[in-house]
Amino acid sequence: MGNVIGIIASGCPSGLMMGLIRERPIAALPFGGRYRLLDFPLSNMVNSGLRTVGIITPFHYRPVLDHLGAGKEWLLDRKTGGLFILPSSNREKAGGKFPLADLAGNLDFFHKDRAEHVIISCSNLVINLDFRPVLDFHQNQKADVTLIYHADGFAGEAGEALFLAPDHSGQVQEFNTGLTSGNGKVFLDMLVIKKDILLELLEGNAGEEDRELLGVIAAKVGQIRVFAYPFSGYVGRISSVVDYFKCNMDLLKPEIRRELFMESNKIHTKIADNPPTLYGHNALSSNSLVASGCKIDGTVENSIIFRQVQIKPGAVVKNSIVMQKCIIGRNVVLENVILDKFVRIKDHTVLQGHFDKPVVIEKTTGWGGE
Amino acid sequence: MRKKETVAMLLAGGQGSRLGSLTRRIAKPAVSFGGKYRIIDFSLSNCVNSKIDTVGVLTQYKPLLLNSYIGIGTAWDLDDVYGGVHILPPFMGEGGGNWYKGTANAIYHNMDFISYYNPEYVLIISGDHIYQMDYSLMLDFHKKNGADLTISVIEVPWEETSRFGIMTCDSNGRIIKFREKPQAADSNLASMGIYIFDWPILEQALLEDEANPQSDHDFGKNVIPMLLNQGKKLYAYRFRGYWKDVGTIDSYYEANMDLLSRKPQLDLYDSNLRIFSNSDELAPHYVGPNAKITNALISNGCIVMGEVNHSILAPGVIVGEGAKVIDSIVLPNAVISDGACIYSAIVGENLEVPPGSSFGLDHGAKLTQRVITVVDDNLLAKEGGPQEALA
Repeated sequence: MGNVIGIIASGCPSGLMMGLIRERPIAALPFGGRYRLLDFPLSNMVNSGLRTVGIITPFHYRPVLDHLGAGKEWLLDRKTGGLFILPSSNREKAGGKFPLADLAGNLDFFHKDRAEHVIISCSNLVINLDFRPVLDFHQNQKADVTLIYHADGFAGEAGEALFLAPDHSGQVQEFNTGLTSGNGKVFLDMLVIKKDILLELLEGNAGEEDRELLGVIAAKVGQIRVFAYPFSGYVGRISSVVDYFKCNMDLLKPEIRRELFMESNKIHTKIADNPPTLYGHNALSSNSLVASGCKIDGTVENSIIFRQVQIKPGAVVKNSIVMQKCIIGRNVVLENVILDKFVRIKDHTVLQGHFDKPVVIEKTTGWGGE
Repeated sequence: MRKKETVAMLLAGGQGSRLGSLTRRIAKPAVSFGGKYRIIDFSLSNCVNSKIDTVGVLTQYKPLLLNSYIGIGTAWDLDDVYGGVHILPPFMGEGGGNWYKGTANAIYHNMDFISYYNPEYVLIISGDHIYQMDYSLMLDFHKKNGADLTISVIEVPWEETSRFGIMTCDSNGRIIKFREKPQAADSNLASMGIYIFDWPILEQALLEDEANPQSDHDFGKNVIPMLLNQGKKLYAYRFRGYWKDVGTIDSYYEANMDLLSRKPQLDLYDSNLRIFSNSDELAPHYVGPNAKITNALISNGCIVMGEVNHSILAPGVIVGEGAKVIDSIVLPNAVISDGACIYSAIVGENLEVPPGSSFGLDHGAKLTQRVITVVDDNLLAKEGGPQEALA
């Protein structure tokens, strides 16, 4: 795929993520035991043959850089192309998923490469998608823009999404960028665009960088060929804490795990070189996903346990997400809880949330610290 | 070329015939260990943790997996422009070519490699030992004594001295006597096969040893006694920690199981002596609704639906519904099908144990002596093979 480059927006304008994205862009949100959300769009691009990918990084970029390094794990430490960290405009006003300012501020990235097409993706989707069929479709239809949608999408707990109505050939004659709730052909915040068209759009809207790319495309839909491509596999759209919670729990279903992690296109992530997880004599675990380097001597049920977590004897962790390096003391009870990284829970603490309203313990609070 | 203080030479060419079918297709250093590791990870990681960045790996026996596993050393941060890891197989010269005849002969053939880096010291280690060691402490000891050769030794039980090369030292740690596998030992300090030489001393010794037609060209058997006779300064460095030669099925099994003891001497979780490995990218392991896992090490990519007790699962292992894995080691990507039972066994890489079959001895009945069953494709074909399972 030498003629395609990728660009990933690592922010997400959502007020429903609470403390989970206070100190990190959504792209850096830990997910599924050993991943960060960014791993999904990035791996999808790399697995589709792209070797030039730019990541637009907003203000709190430290965790993104920490995770990506030189891009080795994604085969992006290239001499030609490779991984590009692109600054974000960080404009308060610039709304939407893809503010023009972020793209216009990085024109060099587009000019530098001879690629014909650009794949643009957000980073709050849990999906294993091969872009190659999308690109074939895009080229066969001689499309200027191809929007990827889910054939039978759900707007998510946040309730709002952009619905598309392509005609029988897949062409989109008009669309409204307003977000509505419901079910239908939900735009997945991923698109393929001809680089020339993208540059034209950016040029034509110079000085109006507060606008958003989709709005600009929608306004041009009569003059450029916009198509829509259906995806029918698993998609987890994360724009709220509950989305995040449920999407993690989806991984406990074998068919979803198989589709995401066990097919030939792997989801790549930063390698941590942890030892295997050690289960003690008192361990009792069921229906859970457990990453490496943990020491588990308590009970774990229906939970996602990240790397290097310690669960002491007598502790019970149920329907919970426990991020990296948390320590759960003796006889602790956790139910419907999300623990962000490095949280220590003191012995005998009881924390219970509701499945539809999990308790979130933030990374920085030091709650229950020893 | 930048001069290096120390170059490490890692002997990884042995067949390891006493590991039986575990080494039928791969060299001993490439055998899976402790879940996610391969045996060579320990020596390579020790080098890196000791700030040695130039390592020659001498290969000979079935090197395909070993070579591809090591690659350019990226997994151990040994992909270094100035040094890094070098795979050194036997090669042809003007006078023809030869296999490596012994440990000393292998190093002799690669003196050009060492000269290229022109080091002050050469560290010689072996790729089939399980231990965590900071070689820089041993080097400090070597320098402090002004030694020509320092040999790392470990205290072994007196009754086992006849299995090792035994060093007898004076009160300063200088070696006064060396006996290979003595019947009656006067010391219980055993050589760990870890040597630090002054490079000029090593060079001279290798040339002399090569010229001796009676020699087997082995460090323990020939070179060390020769240097001792020449009155060179040989010192013994006492290592106090966990060290195990995993040359036999029993010691391999024991070393694995040592990781499951209440307080393992070898600490894989020690952040100062991390063991790095070249691992596949796999999802976290999944524990099924009816699973029961106790006292076990479970690696990434495993799916455990059945029972696992006092066992180690390497990456990508599947334990089916109703299957039991007890006191066992399951190597990468093996499948223990539904209802199959494995007791005190080592299950080979990529094997599929048929549904409902049973291997190994159930230790419900107390046995005085542990018998380890190695489940390989021969055994699968013999007992409860796929045909039989279907019938």
